Amino acid sequence: MFQRSGKGNYAYTSARAKAKKSRLLKEEDYSKMLMMSVPEISHYISEAGYSKEMTELGNRYTGLSLVEYATYANMAVAFRSILKASTGELRNMVEAYLSEWDFTNLEVILRGKNYGLPVEEIREDLVPAGRLDMDDLDDLVAAPGVEETLDLFASKTGVRVSDEAVAAYRNDRMLKDIEDELAKTFYRNLLLSVGTTTQANRIFRTYLERVVDAQNVETLLKLKVERIGGEEAMKYFIPGGQEVDEKTYAQIAAAADVVSAGNEMQGLKIHNEIKGALTDNASVLDVVAAIDRYNAELANSVAHMYPLSVIPVVDYMIHKRNEARNIRMIAHGVDSGLDVETMKGLLVI
Amino acid sequence: MVVTEGVADVTNGLIAIGAGLAVGLAGVGTGMAEKDIGAAAIGAITEDSSLFGRSMIFMVLPETVVIFGLVIAIMAIFVM
Repeated sequence: MFQRSGKGNYAYTSARAKAKKSRLLKEEDYSKMLMMSVPEISHYISEAGYSKEMTELGNRYTGLSLVEYATYANMAVAFRSILKASTGELRNMVEAYLSEWDFTNLEVILRGKNYGLPVEEIREDLVPAGRLDMDDLDDLVAAPGVEETLDLFASKTGVRVSDEAVAAYRNDRMLKDIEDELAKTFYRNLLLSVGTTTQANRIFRTYLERVVDAQNVETLLKLKVERIGGEEAMKYFIPGGQEVDEKTYAQIAAAADVVSAGNEMQGLKIHNEIKGALTDNASVLDVVAAIDRYNAELANSVAHMYPLSVIPVVDYMIHKRNEARNIRMIAHGVDSGLDVETMKGLLVI
Repeated sequence: MVVTEGVADVTNGLIAIGAGLAVGLAGVGTGMAEKDIGAAAIGAITEDSSLFGRSMIFMVLPETVVIFGLVIAIMAIFVM
């Protein structure tokens, strides 16, 4: 990937990120939204900064779909404005962080192509919040097959999937090897993009290493909820974490269920934060919400340390993503008649 | 430059250099301080134009350093 030189405009970008963060929805907004119907939620978020997207998408979607697409469209615009505003090494880091969306979009396109979905349906699920804008993603969607899409993605981003993963896809027409490799590539590139020359960058790197740990733990717990372990689980291990190395991961993977996996994790920092969700009848949703809360707290704990660094910028992006997630969760919960207390438990604030 | 009994009197010249340095270095320091404040102020105003007034106050705060330099320069020239 092309690397920019120069220190970066930390003061400008972090001031913009902080101003954007001050306009995010607060806890009391979510409390009000929990009492509303889906149309009322649409109206409420229109007045809370989502009006442009709600108007643009209002003639194509209604109800729950409108809330879903508008929240992600708004988030994509916000993230790309931060990306465009940043320069130098700051842009390298922001770009590497946001490339998660490029990988997510690529996976959506590959899955769509693999299952023969129409172009319009694939396009609807894309979130152009990363380095690739909608035109680039349209090019990827227009590519005739999975392998051509991967080649085009490589020419646009410099990220090439290994021949082994492509060969495995040719063999069984399953995308899992390609997707695993993309996830690992994302975290490897992200960790590589953060230099260790300044104290702020070192703190950001430590934060990212703990995020990798959280990701590994989340994968393991999701597998444990489904009673999957051993060799199958080892394929999903992402290297680069702070505490969860391959050996620790294997130990947790060998546990019989969620509770015994929790016992194996007792020495880890993350265990204290998520132990409430580690019960016999834990659902994937509970585990994911607990890990998201842990990630938000992790970001909060470092957010105010270095005002002129990448940290407040990433802190804003985490909170913005949680906002989109919370609005969608409330809209879905209200639509399916979920009780307020359950929805409150799933909020990440 | 006044020459008295074959010795050059450079006092006035040194005072002028000192006054110039006082204002000049204070200006450089102010500029360095205003660089980040200005960038952050523009960033904040881009997102929320109502922050213009507050941003301006923070923007001009380092100007006081130049005033200190100017006072020293005036004292050097007129008081000493």
